[in-house]
Amino acid sequence: MPDFDLELDARGLNCPLPILRAKKSINSLDSGQVLRIIATDPGSVKDFEAFCKQTGNELLDTAQNSGEYFFNIRKG
Amino acid sequence: MVKRLKASERKATILAVAKVLFSDRGYHGVSVDEIARRLGVSPAILYRHFPSKEALYEEVLNAIACKRESYVEAVVNSDGSFADVLRKITRIYIESVSRDPDYLRMELQSALEGSDATRQFFENRWRPFIDFIEYSLKELVAGKTIEPVNEQLAAMAFQGMLREALYAKCIYHSARYRNMDLAGIAEELVTLFFRAVGYTESEKCKESPNSV
Repeated sequence: MPDFDLELDARGLNCPLPILRAKKSINSLDSGQVLRIIATDPGSVKDFEAFCKQTGNELLDTAQNSGEYFFNIRKG
Repeated sequence: MVKRLKASERKATILAVAKVLFSDRGYHGVSVDEIARRLGVSPAILYRHFPSKEALYEEVLNAIACKRESYVEAVVNSDGSFADVLRKITRIYIESVSRDPDYLRMELQSALEGSDATRQFFENRWRPFIDFIEYSLKELVAGKTIEPVNEQLAAMAFQGMLREALYAKCIYHSARYRNMDLAGIAEELVTLFFRAVGYTESEKCKESPNSV
């Protein structure tokens, strides 16, 4: 996974909390910077795809490892 | 000539009829024979699509789960405050549930007779509210935006009042509330909830940008 500028630990949180925290974290970044999110809610995969589509931020990649989901989002 | 249904159409028809029957009488109150009779087919046709009544019931629940409300748009279009997000996700939830009141009936039936897995399924549908309220209230207390409050019971109170509003309007069609629409009731209840936990909506400007 590429480098990131800010990491958000959303483990143990369920929708809508990871999305809400991601929205707030992204607001603190400059355009082009990358937010990395770690989540445990399986629904977060679909949610972050929808989030990026609706906000114009770019979902660079997603990964999954033993119940944890990783997302890298570049601010648009 | 009787039109033959495609397998997918047949399956969808079985699910629709089964949902109505399960919501009326619960899992144990309905037999496979009865579902088949209602559909005008033999039980063998039904078993071709679903190996057991349990599998059929699970599939009815899965169909509801697939329609799981998405709160992403609500969050994206919110100002990020506790008040705005809670109002928006509440609106989405009541619109979704009131469009399909059979779901509410199945939830009621499952409270009395359902398996742990079924109960878990319905609990999960409420989790976005419970988790969001508990977590947000903790943050608001920590940031001294509101006075200490039992956030677990506050979330339970919220769930209880919203559920009762849904029952009153979508199941009982209660005469007492006939002059109010569900959306209006929900808005008022959310306002009452904010007052009860000591949160004034103007407080949102005091919420830390990184809270919640």
